Amino acid sequence: MSEFNKAQHVAGRVYDLVRQKHSAASICRRPSHGSNVRGVKISVLFPLPTQKWNDQTAAHLLNRGAFGGTPGEIEAARKKGLGAMVHELVDANTDAVNVPPPAWAHPQNIRAQRVEINAAKDQGQNSREKAREVHMMETENILDLRCWWLERMMTGQAPLLEKMTLFWHGHFATSVQKVKDAYWMWLQNDTLRRNALGNFATLVRKMSRDPAMMIYLDLHQSRKEHPNENWARELMELFTVGIGNYTEEDVRASARAFTGYRIDYTTQQFRFAPKQQDLGPKTFMGHTWPLNGDNIIDILFQRPACAEFIGRKLWRFFVEDEPSQEIVDDIAGRVRAHNFEMRPLLREIFSSAEFYSERVIQTQIKSPVQYVVQASKLLETALPPPTVTQNAMRQMGQVLFAPMNVKGWDGGKAWITTSTLLFRYNFANYLINGDTMLRHGAPARIENPDPGFRQSVVQRQQLANQIKRDPIDISKFVPNELRDRPRDLVDLLSRRFFQSRPSEREGNTFVQFLESRNPDTSDETMRELVHLMMSTPQFQLA
Amino acid sequence: MLGAAATWTLPVFLEKTFVTLDAMAADTLTQTVTGKDGTILIVVQMAGGNDGLNTVVPYADDAYYRVRPRLGLLADKILKIDNYCGLNGKLTGLKSLFDEGHVAIVHGVGYPNPDRSHFRSTEIWQTGSDSNRNEANGWLGRYFDNCCSGVDPTVGVAIGDEMPQAFSAKSPTGVTFSRPEQFLWRLSEPEKGYRSAEEDFFRQLNGSDEESAAGVTDGAAIGALSAKTKSNLSTMDFLQRTALDAQLSSDKILAIARKYKSSVSYPQGHLGSSLNIIARMIAGGLPTRVYYATQGGFDTHAGQMNAHERLMGNFNEAVNAFVADLKQQGNFERVLLMTFSEFGRRVAENANGGTDHGAAAPMFVLGGAVKPGLFGKYPSLVDLDHGDLKFNTDFRSVYGTLLDRWLKAPSEKVLGRKFRALAIV
Repeated sequence: MSEFNKAQHVAGRVYDLVRQKHSAASICRRPSHGSNVRGVKISVLFPLPTQKWNDQTAAHLLNRGAFGGTPGEIEAARKKGLGAMVHELVDANTDAVNVPPPAWAHPQNIRAQRVEINAAKDQGQNSREKAREVHMMETENILDLRCWWLERMMTGQAPLLEKMTLFWHGHFATSVQKVKDAYWMWLQNDTLRRNALGNFATLVRKMSRDPAMMIYLDLHQSRKEHPNENWARELMELFTVGIGNYTEEDVRASARAFTGYRIDYTTQQFRFAPKQQDLGPKTFMGHTWPLNGDNIIDILFQRPACAEFIGRKLWRFFVEDEPSQEIVDDIAGRVRAHNFEMRPLLREIFSSAEFYSERVIQTQIKSPVQYVVQASKLLETALPPPTVTQNAMRQMGQVLFAPMNVKGWDGGKAWITTSTLLFRYNFANYLINGDTMLRHGAPARIENPDPGFRQSVVQRQQLANQIKRDPIDISKFVPNELRDRPRDLVDLLSRRFFQSRPSEREGNTFVQFLESRNPDTSDETMRELVHLMMSTPQFQLA
Repeated sequence: MLGAAATWTLPVFLEKTFVTLDAMAADTLTQTVTGKDGTILIVVQMAGGNDGLNTVVPYADDAYYRVRPRLGLLADKILKIDNYCGLNGKLTGLKSLFDEGHVAIVHGVGYPNPDRSHFRSTEIWQTGSDSNRNEANGWLGRYFDNCCSGVDPTVGVAIGDEMPQAFSAKSPTGVTFSRPEQFLWRLSEPEKGYRSAEEDFFRQLNGSDEESAAGVTDGAAIGALSAKTKSNLSTMDFLQRTALDAQLSSDKILAIARKYKSSVSYPQGHLGSSLNIIARMIAGGLPTRVYYATQGGFDTHAGQMNAHERLMGNFNEAVNAFVADLKQQGNFERVLLMTFSEFGRRVAENANGGTDHGAAAPMFVLGGAVKPGLFGKYPSLVDLDHGDLKFNTDFRSVYGTLLDRWLKAPSEKVLGRKFRALAIV
């Protein structure tokens, strides 16, 4: 037994005694649809009647539980049936967590770099030069990691697993800008994926030992004499119970309990330093014991606010921005009843009539991640080149592994400003037409050139290579026989891009556009139609 | 900074010159511009951590030359302000402006428990939070949320690729672009002569064709049509209104950019071109209260001497041109420019002829209506905190003063509490 385990074991045993006294009230029966969940409340989630399973509801499940489907995928889902589809998303492909890491993602890699830098320092060489090299490598690695993940979202066999991993990344927001290490970012991503559909309490415990998280919230520097409150506070405010459900005294006690957490720079893993642990008694949420970090987490998971907090957040992520209190209560009851296991909860959400209600379908603003992945799928094309993707994500406001702050992404309306909306419209142009859209523009004539713009021929060539992309093959989803039948063509493409018929006004506009081009039914005109369709408020919704 | 270190910014991506723009439909400026009178704040971020000691130099302090044997700037090159400190020799324009009585220098600005990470300290400055608290929204975003709801989206304009965190808000507002030519919808096949037809269809789809825009765009600011705050709108209504806002803002910004040129010559470089764009937007009467511009490259860990001199020179020329431009326009009195950096640098130079991350540093506040002079106390060069200067003015005192006295917005609502006001304006 390691030192840490021993310490945890002792404190844990003490704490078990407390827990037995308090936990009886929180044990609930496992609910089924329509049953009493909290003793008095009647569930508001009922199963979706079978006859309501159709192209629209199937498309909705793929939009929210995955990254959207092509018309072919939607049809296949409808044929499989609701139960089978939910099973496929939630329960199948359990092997998908064992994804092979990117080639560079192994602990010895970074270790070797550190050894080299230190050796260079010792020999009085210019360690800055070496550090710069490492920095360049890290920059490339994180770029690679971003595209590696997007690729899994787009083509992987377990899209819900990836979507839940994305949910947890936003929940446990951690930025490489502070962590400065692509390996640790990958390691955290791997931990999130392995626990994405598992138990939330387990995941919180794992995050408290996750090197990237520890660095991001200064946990690895917290000492007995100077407990750092960053992790201790955010654990409550952002990860478990939410603001208003703890006191400043709780923050201080929590900070003392989470001492002794360190990173072993040989293995690049968590290490426990017993000498740094504060084993003195602390009062946390009414419990006074020599509590350790895991005890704090256990106590937090006993609070009703915890189930409500994560239940609301999940519902907001998958269903709607502003759930009613009834729904929040229902979901919170289910979270507790399932003891914070995600799979049964997600099964119930995705099977419920509430999830497919009219006020929910096609009302969620696509996140930039969803936008890029879903647009690429719908255009039957590959993701754009890495540097373009990364820049585009930045301009749309969602850079994977670099959320702007510890609170993650707000989502919903916060994705859309005049600038990001225009950017989405223009990015659609690039996705469809490739770099031809750039070639057609007049060469840059800038009145006050930025030094960064005066690139040498070589740099310009490199840039051209980085953004190179061919126009999409429009014949993959625009059949020749419909090209001169505007109304039918618009209906077909609307099903693909909006998963529904367009409003009469929009539909007419698309038809008028085609008629204005008559008799031109070239690929270019078809691509322009698609660009127009994607340059609408409607296409921003899923 | 890792993550932000893309090998190129995205100018090529959405770039279009005025030559092609002018071939487009005629000037479609439909707004009665109302940006002719209110006060305007320009925020200039010196990204990377500007070396305050070599910006406002304590030339009369022996301690300065003791810890900076290589980087210490010689007293005879300093533009002396008083018998203790003076401006970096490159800041000639700023010095003249100071002598004219248009510059306030606030010494030793910082915050308690300073963080020496670029990322974190930038976040603290951008959100105005305490260093032990995390705050999601930016201080300017909270100003937009609290004091500007339902106004024109161009109330905040950031020049750059990415919205600064200072702008992030509950209901995000404000416009971000690197150059005005980028801030428009780009057609698929501009060479085929279909241009205007396709754009008409686009405008129909986004509610800014004449038919659907009629009635809502009459009168003053665009935002008047968002009388309901955005958070109360259905998602679809919200998207449609933002789409319309985007179109109208784009039209307006392009029309102004096309119409107003500066006769003043700006220096090359990012800050110069950003301030040039801003000056043109001000001349055109864009109803903007806050503009945001950035100068990068201040993270001078090695070989600082030349790099920092160049940065100072560039800053000086850009600001000089900007001020001359504003004076020519007759707008200098209603514009105030504030600089900040995430931290100053370590007092002692390092072994690589550079300086490492530090803490407190001076801020410049300048403009026609600024109350000039030196504010706060120059921090001691010997009584240090881990080798860094101790702050004596909280940066939120500066923010609060500018909110209360310049933007006429209640600073307490934006910053969460009242900070000591400074007599800088």
